[in-house]
Amino acid sequence: MNLDAYELDDAIYDEMYGADGAPRGHCRTLHDALAELSGDDLERIQQRVTRSFAEESISFTVYGDEEPQERIIPVDCIPRIITGAQWRQIEAGLTQRLAALNRFIADVYAGARIVADGVIPAEMVRGCPHYRIEMRGVAVPHGTWVAVCGTDIVRTVDGFRVLEDNLRVPSGVSYMLANRGAVRNNLWRLYRRCRVRDIGNYGHLLRDTLLSLAPAGRDDPCLVLLTPGIFNSAFYEHMFLAREIGAYLVEGRDLLVDGGRVYMRTTRGLRQVDVIYRRIDDDFLDPLAFRPDSLLGVPGLMNAVRNGNVTLANAPGTGVADDKGVYAYVPDMIRYYLGEEPLLDNVETLLCRRPEDLEYTLDNLADLVVKRVGESGGYGMLVGPHASARERDDYAAQVRADPAGFIAQPVLALSRAPCLVGDRIEPRHVDLRPFVLHGRETRIVPGAFCRVALVRGSLVVNSSQGGGGKDLWVLED
Amino acid sequence: MLARSAQGLYWMSRHLERAEYLARMLGLQGRTLIDRPPGEIHFGWRRLYGSLRRRPPAGDIDPDPDDDYTLADSYTLAGDLTFERSNPDSLRSCFAAGRENARQVRHCISREMWTSLNLAWLRLKDLDIQDIWTPEPESFYGEMIRTLNAIDGVASATMYRGAGWQFLRLGTFIERSQLMAALAATHLRILETDDGSEWTSLLKACQALDSYESVHGIDRRPDRILGLLIADTLHPGSLADSLTSAESCLAAIGAQAGSPDDAAAAIRLAGRLRARIAFDWPDSRDQLSLIDGVGQGSRDLHDLVNSAWFEYPIGTPSA
Repeated sequence: MNLDAYELDDAIYDEMYGADGAPRGHCRTLHDALAELSGDDLERIQQRVTRSFAEESISFTVYGDEEPQERIIPVDCIPRIITGAQWRQIEAGLTQRLAALNRFIADVYAGARIVADGVIPAEMVRGCPHYRIEMRGVAVPHGTWVAVCGTDIVRTVDGFRVLEDNLRVPSGVSYMLANRGAVRNNLWRLYRRCRVRDIGNYGHLLRDTLLSLAPAGRDDPCLVLLTPGIFNSAFYEHMFLAREIGAYLVEGRDLLVDGGRVYMRTTRGLRQVDVIYRRIDDDFLDPLAFRPDSLLGVPGLMNAVRNGNVTLANAPGTGVADDKGVYAYVPDMIRYYLGEEPLLDNVETLLCRRPEDLEYTLDNLADLVVKRVGESGGYGMLVGPHASARERDDYAAQVRADPAGFIAQPVLALSRAPCLVGDRIEPRHVDLRPFVLHGRETRIVPGAFCRVALVRGSLVVNSSQGGGGKDLWVLED
Repeated sequence: MLARSAQGLYWMSRHLERAEYLARMLGLQGRTLIDRPPGEIHFGWRRLYGSLRRRPPAGDIDPDPDDDYTLADSYTLAGDLTFERSNPDSLRSCFAAGRENARQVRHCISREMWTSLNLAWLRLKDLDIQDIWTPEPESFYGEMIRTLNAIDGVASATMYRGAGWQFLRLGTFIERSQLMAALAATHLRILETDDGSEWTSLLKACQALDSYESVHGIDRRPDRILGLLIADTLHPGSLADSLTSAESCLAAIGAQAGSPDDAAAAIRLAGRLRARIAFDWPDSRDQLSLIDGVGQGSRDLHDLVNSAWFEYPIGTPSA
């Protein structure tokens, strides 16, 4: 492949090339391999990678009036590579961050000392739609409210930044593992030469983490993964993880609560359940506690949780800490609970609930990204520079009507990585979502679901909006 | 194992067994189109629809000696039973339902089995009757039979012989016994002439020609053909073999169940059905009634399996 036409931009960090246009040291092997391959070779590799996803049906399903449509998340065959040292920085930062977030959640459902000490306003906590009053006073094993965290990290010319914490039901880890399998198999010589750190033990680590949270006195804990069912777009991931961790894959209708304990319906009668890795949102967990119309949950489940007879991972109510408004206070939480300076920076964030931030946001809408506090998946946001004057005016009206519902951030120049686009290699914006596990201890496999904005110039990496995936290779030292 | 997972495995194999049955029957119909008289072709369609307890899309089939009408009818009927998405008894629908069940219990089947099943689905899902009719319909059905047999073989070679395997096999044998009983009963009911060709086609439809010739030689007699398909436990796919195999599955699963009473009743019923074939068939003067009775018993067996292990009433937790 001829890489001479590959575009670089001084304002954007390129994952493969330095500012001088030469390949970065740790990417030289990849660069040389790409240069040696013909366009046809690379296209064939890409086709094989894509085909392997189709053949294994690694997909999400879209249901409509017609037959269900299984769709494959596009995956680019060229890996993104980072060094062991860069990974250690991410690892240390994420470990620190999750420790503080778990302390914060424990605190807000106990005495809310952080509010009393004026570090974070009371309305940010109590007014958060994800605050669950049902969890007040509940003790969770090892203080682990968040057992599985997926944190979105971006890189700019100034370094890594945390864009978002996903503390409720983070998804995407199956794509991290599937991307690795497909790309490694099809670029196996390059993979071997690069000495990439393995991520294959994620399932074991997740299982150990979840079992470490079992209620005391349960010798052979029964672990289940609770899925909304086959109609959920992430069902593939639920099935995949259930197999990886050796858990029963259950739906709400498979479970029942009797005498404050949770049981599942087996072919041999009822069996008590000890740990539930739930992939259902809080709202749907228990129709007696939350949404009464939920058919996905288990009546009485919250009672069993409060009695300490079953562990839910992640615990209900963790959403109070991944609210887009609360996010702005995470660096303060780290200082408050741990007495340390954050190892990973946040993205500078304006809270429109503050009059001065609101005014600045409205005056500079064309230069900002504005997000709804309660939305995710890239929905409900305005990317100022890409919006028309009319769109900005409409959005400004929404912000004025409910300032507390919005935050604003500068438009980040997300780093770019080489991607195969047709028969050319072109740069595309990327982020990464590593998965942090926290039980008795914190563990992170050296890898991440690397998301790519496949549309030229786009900054939106969400798979629901034209994004795709890439394999992330963390190199051994 | 989780009751719903066991149920998923059971239904997956039932749907795939039905798909294989349809491929065999439709493959036979495809072959008759080459050189058999219209009467035999019409008989085959009536027997197939009768065994499925369905009516053809445009109503009952009127035997018409005209070749053009026969071919046009066959095209419509093959389309209805092969690719029609609104027909739950079409081969495509059965395969889709089997795969959808497999998708739900993918963590309970071997990776190799899933891949075989999924690759077959990718080849099948976008086909239509036009795609197979002009070149040679029989080759498509032959390919489907080989594919389904291969999936069965991969499952057999790779799946752990735990409870999941037993429920999967149980579904296969209960479906097979119901289909065989329905096919044999329909055949006896609608048979008008007895020139032998319909009996030969029945053997072919059941992939039993080789078994028959190895036991009885080339002289084809209706009583022997029926005896092989119903009561010969050495012929795989006979009613006796299916019921014996279902009984073995139930014995391996055991009576420890969500509803132990229904489980015990299911085990007893499977034994009784197998014994009826073994001991009543040789002396039976009303073979049609006996086949109907065993077919009904097989449907009752399904109900008991469902209420014993899958959808039992909840009592007091046991553990």
